[in-house]
Amino acid sequence: MGSMLGNLPSFDPHNFSQLRPSDPSNPSKMVPSTYRPTHSRTLPPPDQVIATEAKNILIRNIYQRAEEKLRSKHAATEHLIPEHGCKQTRPSTS
Amino acid sequence: MFKTNNVASRIFERQIRTPAPGTSVHSARRFYENLVPSFTIYDVECPDHSFFKFTDDGQYFVCFSRNRQDLIVYRPTWLSFSCKGEDCDNNQELPPQAKRFESFFTQLYVKRLASCNELICKDFFLYMESNQYGIFATSTAQIQDARGTDGAILGVPSFEKITIHLFRLEDGFKLDEKVFHNDCVNLTHNMGAFLYDDLLAVVSLRYQTIHILQIRDSGNLVDVRAIGAYCREDDELFLNSSSQLAGNRGDLVDNGTNHDQPNSNNSFLSGIKQRLLSFIFREIWSEETDQTQRVQCLKKKFYFHFQDYVDLVILKVQFLDRHHLLIKFGSVDVGASRNTDQLPAFFAVYNMETTEIVAFYQNAADELYLLFERFCDHFHATSINSMYMNFISSHSNNIHALEQLKSMKNKATSVSQFVKKMLSSLPLNCQSTSPSPYFDQSLFRFDEKLISATDRPRQSTDHPIRFISRRQPNILKFKIKTGPEFGGADGRSKKYSHFLFHPAWPLALSFIQPSLFLPPSAVNIHFRR
Repeated sequence: MGSMLGNLPSFDPHNFSQLRPSDPSNPSKMVPSTYRPTHSRTLPPPDQVIATEAKNILIRNIYQRAEEKLRSKHAATEHLIPEHGCKQTRPSTS
Repeated sequence: MFKTNNVASRIFERQIRTPAPGTSVHSARRFYENLVPSFTIYDVECPDHSFFKFTDDGQYFVCFSRNRQDLIVYRPTWLSFSCKGEDCDNNQELPPQAKRFESFFTQLYVKRLASCNELICKDFFLYMESNQYGIFATSTAQIQDARGTDGAILGVPSFEKITIHLFRLEDGFKLDEKVFHNDCVNLTHNMGAFLYDDLLAVVSLRYQTIHILQIRDSGNLVDVRAIGAYCREDDELFLNSSSQLAGNRGDLVDNGTNHDQPNSNNSFLSGIKQRLLSFIFREIWSEETDQTQRVQCLKKKFYFHFQDYVDLVILKVQFLDRHHLLIKFGSVDVGASRNTDQLPAFFAVYNMETTEIVAFYQNAADELYLLFERFCDHFHATSINSMYMNFISSHSNNIHALEQLKSMKNKATSVSQFVKKMLSSLPLNCQSTSPSPYFDQSLFRFDEKLISATDRPRQSTDHPIRFISRRQPNILKFKIKTGPEFGGADGRSKKYSHFLFHPAWPLALSFIQPSLFLPPSAVNIHFRR
């Protein structure tokens, strides 16, 4: 069938001589191998939606630091609300 | 990415190679190393206007008339000329018809901006690129004896009428305006306003309100919110209804009170001041777990300085994104005093949607400085539309700028002074840096003291300003010379020079002024011949 490259210069004309291009009358029996996972540990959760974070990195950092401060200093903010109750305006007495 | 420096071979290389992922704009910008404004036309004869700025997309050149009443807009073009005779290309001298201002700029229109008793603020201009809208400001003269009116704070000058104008730059059609009466907005160098996408924030210093306006595509300026005494739209209604109740009870107690007193004296602090103080309180509260320690801490850090915190005023504002504002608080004397470093200043991050303060920093806070150092680009808050903003060199996106910053930090005598100095530029001025690639630190090295991306008049030298290539060290790419060396005649006189670079073309204008207050004595055009 002649070289696939025709008469183009090549290092070794016998390269690619074994190769038979696929032709429709003689379908190749080779099936590409498929790989299936053996576990489901890496599956994403079924309701996962991937979206771009709306907040930019600066805002994210600012919020992160604020939360860290709150956590690390054992904020007792929940004690504040029952102590003060609901605020009522008082007439000024001064 | 390019193997050679020759522009023709670079173009050929560009045809056959793709740049590394994410660097297509960077490698396109490297062509600016080859196309430089190396030719200068000195002392161009130009109309007597106050030339202000190129718009950031390079479409318009904005100028104001000398009497600061008119707006004149030019379209930058490139010169074209014909010459008769042989060997025109090799002629060193340009024909005289080409050496005119009009060769480079075509006048589009002249529009009256300010009415008879108003003047245009010649340092104020914001450009909305998506619709090609320009925002200008005019104001009347300062009122000398400003009376304190309801809601106004003392110590701030008052102007009878400040107007923010919205213009369509294409044809000079005035779209809308917003007027502030008896108010004070700091309009120099865009300090009192910030444009983010279609949102415009204007700080009313006198009434301590941040006005958020939206610029609609139809050209209308719409009020979105006013942050200051009230945070949410229905706050006013709620507070008025509750102060009525307080007023009823109060009348029984103090009959002789002067009813002209503003309402805020009788009722609690509201609006952003309340949010700020409660945030500070909660922060200090959450620092200690022990109850008595807590109270001690509060007494020391909060109640001792309570009146100082209450007296803080909003000085400057910028957007960090569509919902977050960075607000600078300080003392009301800051406007008058030159030495702003000594006065205390605070920064707060405020979320407009939840009306919560997210963070609060002192002006020498290391934490804020770290954020500024690492994410400087995000402080130049811009929308996704203006892509060129991502390429303006800052110390967060450019290693050479970062090295410069680090060397400044190492040279500084005191770290806290250095931090204060760096943070004093926050909140940043909107649209104050030129996007010209000639200021790109990865392409060129230049003396920042003589010329930089923020266009302010600087003291000029007789020596030309050299732009040296970064990639081939010590190879000079081009020089900007502001005038023929004058020699000994007026060697003593200090001159100020001021540069305007076109954002995309190898075109720059330089202005030589004998003093900061006088109009330029010479205008030069630098371009690529």
